[in-house]
Amino acid sequence: MWQRIRNGLETRIGLEDLIRTKLKRYSVPRNTNIFYTLGGVALAAFIIQAVTGFFLLIYYVPHSDHAFRSVQQIMTSVPYGWLFRLMHVVGGNLIVAVVFLHMLSVFFMGSYKKPRELTWVAGWLMLLVVLTFSLSGYLLPWSQLSYWTTTVVTAMPTTFPYVGDYIANVLRGGEFVSGVTLNRFFALHVALLPPILVLLMVVHIFLIRRIGLSSPPFGEQAEKAEPWNEYRHVSYPDGYSFYPYFVLKELYMVLIYLVIMFFIITFVPTLFLPEGANIPADPLKTPAYIKPQWYFLAPYQMLKLIPNKFLGISIQLFLVGMFILWPFFDTKPERNILKRPLLLATFMASLLLWVVLTIWGRSS
Amino acid sequence: MKRRKFLKSLLAVLGSTTVVSFAYPLVRFIAPPGKKAEAERLSLRKDEIPAGESKEIVFNNTPAIIINRPGKGYIALSKVCTHLGCLVEFNKEKGSLICPCHAGEFNLDGKVLSGPPPKPLAEFPLRVEGESIIVG
Repeated sequence: MWQRIRNGLETRIGLEDLIRTKLKRYSVPRNTNIFYTLGGVALAAFIIQAVTGFFLLIYYVPHSDHAFRSVQQIMTSVPYGWLFRLMHVVGGNLIVAVVFLHMLSVFFMGSYKKPRELTWVAGWLMLLVVLTFSLSGYLLPWSQLSYWTTTVVTAMPTTFPYVGDYIANVLRGGEFVSGVTLNRFFALHVALLPPILVLLMVVHIFLIRRIGLSSPPFGEQAEKAEPWNEYRHVSYPDGYSFYPYFVLKELYMVLIYLVIMFFIITFVPTLFLPEGANIPADPLKTPAYIKPQWYFLAPYQMLKLIPNKFLGISIQLFLVGMFILWPFFDTKPERNILKRPLLLATFMASLLLWVVLTIWGRSS
Repeated sequence: MKRRKFLKSLLAVLGSTTVVSFAYPLVRFIAPPGKKAEAERLSLRKDEIPAGESKEIVFNNTPAIIINRPGKGYIALSKVCTHLGCLVEFNKEKGSLICPCHAGEFNLDGKVLSGPPPKPLAEFPLRVEGESIIVG
């Protein structure tokens, strides 16, 4: 049976040739490290989110009168509803961690440099889409935490003169967060963001395949820092085959991802569901000590520390813009960050600052 | 004009017309409909709010609070923090209004005492007529 399917595909699309040229002959450098698998893990994490999200859609009711109750029913009445909801909630946090780690490792290994600037930009745009996913998804359970976090986030554009109030009103569908906002965020979360993310993934993977994988700048087999003046495909004739070697390595990391996810679901299921997440939204009462998700704690704390709202939000937008366009500023061909002490120190200091602000935001 | 150039120009004109005819309705579609000015009026009895106490109300769809300030009389303030829109809480002990989100603090006149809020809390017109407090 299997052989007949294979033969049928071989006759019609040349399956063997496809596997040989696109998977087996596509080789990765021998000195790749574990961080090279994070892109594949992020892809798997997105697929898990899409599948569990689809299951939740079967029972979720996107209406402010029913949303909270429908989520509670998923957790308590629907067989294994709790499992799919927790997989979606925990996965929503882990995917951000994976993408963060992926970007940090790409930055540390200088893989964003010419000719891979566009790959970096596409990656950053994907991170922004993932964060928008998480913000829009956060409102859907219509809990106190959802409601007030969304209130704060949608108020941010009001800091900008002329267009700020208009943008906030468009996001909310009115002056305050309401059922209209819920509908907008639901549409965004399930209908607009998924195709955008898929499109960016296609662009990202196309660029990686078209240019060729970068190799780590450390060790004996490090890619040389050469000027890049015309297009050429970077290949590694003496490297490992993408399939099966690298695919197995990625699969191994995806399983570690799943182990972490199920460990959290089993032993600390409320890690990403604090108290406010189980209280229905009350537009007339802001709960005390409302905190955003862990990955927004640093910007949250920064906003608390900077007395001027316009300045605080402008600094954050500037930093995001600078990181997105960083490869166009950092044009030195040297990719080994260990040979660039100033960049290394700035990188470590920024990372430390982010960690400190996150911890501070959590405890303040 | 050559045929190719004409076709290119025609394509540009048709393309722009299509984009504009789609963009304008889209912008109108996603923007919330304009709000009609409401002339709400709310009346309470004075004895509902003793000196130093407060009462929460909803005025013109906005969460608000009426405070009976000792020695200064009644005031109606919006509860919406001018920083990022959380609702401030009346702290009787400190005699101030505190935002739980980013720790902004306002005095009982609605003025900013500390924290990131850029401007005072919005104040609603209030008058006392006999034994009644009228907001609006």
